[in-house]
Parts: sequence; structure tokens; C-alpha cells
Amino acid sequence: MLVRFWGTRGSLPVARPALAVQGKIARALVAASGRKFNDELEAHAWARNNLPFHTYGSYGGASSCVEIEGADGAFIVCDMGSGLREFGLDAARRCADGHPRVYHFFMSHLHWDHIMGFPFFGPAFDPGAEIVVHAGHPDAEQALRRQQEEISFPVPFDWLRARFTFITHQPGETFQAAGLTVSMIGQHHSHESYGYRFERDGRAVIYSTDSEHKLDNMESEKAFEHFFRDADLVICDTMYSLGDTVSLKQDWGHSSNVVAIDLCHAARAKRLALFHHEPTYSDRDIQHMHAESIRYEELVRADRPPLEVICAYDGLEVRV
Amino acid sequence: MDLRWQVSVESGRVVGVPAGRVDETTWEAFTGHLTAAVKEAAANGAPLVVDLSGLDYMSSRGLRALTIARREAGETVAITLAAPNARMREILAISRYDKLFKIADSVESDI
Ligand SMILES: [Zn+2]
Ligand SMILES: [Zn+2]
Repeated sequence: MLVRFWGTRGSLPVARPALAVQGKIARALVAASGRKFNDELEAHAWARNNLPFHTYGSYGGASSCVEIEGADGAFIVCDMGSGLREFGLDAARRCADGHPRVYHFFMSHLHWDHIMGFPFFGPAFDPGAEIVVHAGHPDAEQALRRQQEEISFPVPFDWLRARFTFITHQPGETFQAAGLTVSMIGQHHSHESYGYRFERDGRAVIYSTDSEHKLDNMESEKAFEHFFRDADLVICDTMYSLGDTVSLKQDWGHSSNVVAIDLCHAARAKRLALFHHEPTYSDRDIQHMHAESIRYEELVRADRPPLEVICAYDGLEVRV
Repeated sequence: MDLRWQVSVESGRVVGVPAGRVDETTWEAFTGHLTAAVKEAAANGAPLVVDLSGLDYMSSRGLRALTIARREAGETVAITLAAPNARMREILAISRYDKLFKIADSVESDI
């Protein structure tokens, strides 16, 4: 399987203002001062190896949208955040090259940051496209229709030309979709959310976002340890610090890097992708949080196998 | 991995001393000891000091157990974390628990 991140930001998409870009350029110029580059290629090569990701790159700012490739040929997409627009453009390119026009969506939940890309999803207008929406919520269709009502958007849902199917699944149920074995777990979040486990050929990818692991219900984490068991990649909501989730941001429905690492350790998962980044965080803040997460994993690893902690960014591809 | 726990009343304070690790296998025992220590401190009208010096590390379960203990303690029992080793200090900083709890360099320095 290949996992491709189209949107990794939580709650609200963000775009860095000019000041942030200027800061990156100034830092890069200082770091490179005295050097001579014959062309942009040389400059890229040097920058890639010598500048921190927050200076040479960016985590991006699109909201939740993650693609999984490599099952029966259909597109597989988790959530319809603002990253879905870019995915739709790319999918149209791939369809022009012969890719089947079948899309399977898996919805964590229906909050705005997870559906806002849908009105801008080009393939929904393709009469040859088949779109299957898998959700734990019976009101998934209503959420997409309501978002396209005239008060919010000029194009009503009924003008879309693709063939739509909405399927509601029960937590605990295991089902086949698009050539994958899929199971679902209920998560603590406003109006509920659901995590997914995708399996194929002995490999497992978990998508678990907008999931609060509450203080007064730590017993329930055994269920998550089991759900994450031996996973090759766990994509986890790590929006806040642990301290925030038990104080000011308690009951906001999100989790922390520290809890995600502990769950992955107990589950013997191999790799964790930090995800659903806080919109007020700069690229530097996110990279700092990533470094702290790697350090925490070392501090509490003890005799467990190492867990690789990566930080998702818009455009990241992870082969599983 | 086991967790040991000792508790004593000294200089008008209840001092709890966990030793070993607090993780997903030991947090329930840790929570039980903490709750009992909070009750004892409340009965004595004394503050509670958790002496972390014998602790190898504590993961999020243990940290969250501390928050539960503090909620149980309410206004009546002040809780201080004392003498964290270097590893615990880093964990407290990364989790931002150093912003939520009073942390003393040693058990004595908190008197
Ligand atoms: Zn969200
Ligand atoms: Zn949400």
C-alpha cells in the first residue's frame, strides 16, 4: 500500500502569510551565505541536505484528506477536507491515463474540516464516476447535501453527475471494500467519530483522527491498543500537548503526541504519523513538536521495539 | 514490569514514593496508591509530595493518573512532584505537565 497525504491540518485550513515565507528565505540566505550555486538544481540539492524542513519545506495547510493506493484499483480516500480538491485534480489526470473512475471514501466524521473539500471535488461532476461513501454516521449523506444548499454553496448536490452510494457501517464490523479488509472503531468526539483499520497482504494502516482519549476512561484504551495491533502505519490525531488535553482543551475531542506514542507502543505498531496539526502552529512549531515526539518515544521505549515517529505533511508519501 | 510504592508522613506532609515504571501495565496500581495517598493527606490536613526519584519513567497513563489525583484532591490537598530524574524531567516538559504541576528539585526543597 502507498499512503499519500493531501491534507494534514486540523480544524481549519491555513496558508502561511508573506511574512512566514520571507522568514524562510532570509534564514536560507543566511545559512547559505558565501556559497555559490551554478543553477537552481544545485541550490535545491544543497538546501535539501542542509536546511531544516521548516525552512526548505512546509507542512502545508490543507485539512484532512489521505489517500491509500494499492488495492483493487479504485481510489481510496479518508476524509474530504480541503486537501480533497488537489486530490480531485490529480485523480482526473490519472483517470485520463486510464485509472478506473471508482472512489471509496472513508469518513472519520462530518465536521466541516473533514467535508469542506467535497464541493470542490471535480470527479463528483463526472457522469462516469462511481462514488461510494463509507461512514459510521447514518447522516453522512445529509451532511454533504446540507453543505451544498444554496445558503452555503451555489451548486446543489442534485446537480452532481457521479453515481453515489452511502454505506453506514457498525463499529466492530469487518467488511471488504475496494480490495481491502476494513474494520472500524468508535472514537470519543463531538457527534462521534470513527477510526479505520485497512488491511491487505498482511499489512495494516490505521486512520484515527479527531479522537480524544479521555482521562476518566483510560480502560477503554485497551480497545485502541487492540485496534492498532502490529500496524505498519498509524495515522493519529496529535493536535495538542498532553497537558492541554487534560486542562484547557479537555473535551475538545482531540489527542496528543504523547498518548498516540503510548498507544502505538502498547500495540507494537511500527510507525506513527503525527496528524491533524494545530492551525495556529507555524512550520517551526510543528517540527519542534515532531522532534519532541521522537524524543518521548526514546524516553519511554524501554524494551519495546522502536516505533518510528514521522510527521505528516501535505504531499508526503509513505510506502507500507 | 512492577511498580513499588511506599508512603510516609514526615514534616507534616504525606510523601508517596513510587519506584519502577508507570506505563500501560502498572498505571492502575499507581492510580490506586495515589488515591489512597490523597485521602490520607486530606485526613491529615497535609499536602502530598510525590517523590519521583525512584521512578525510571512514567508514560501518559501515569501523568493522567496525577491529573485524576489532583481532581480528587481539589482545593484541600496541594500536590507537588519532587526529585524527577533527568528522563522524568524531559517527559514532564514534553507533555507540558511542568506547566500543570509544581515541581521541586528535591523532597527536602519543597518543605
Ligand atoms: Zn478535525
Ligand atoms: Zn472534528
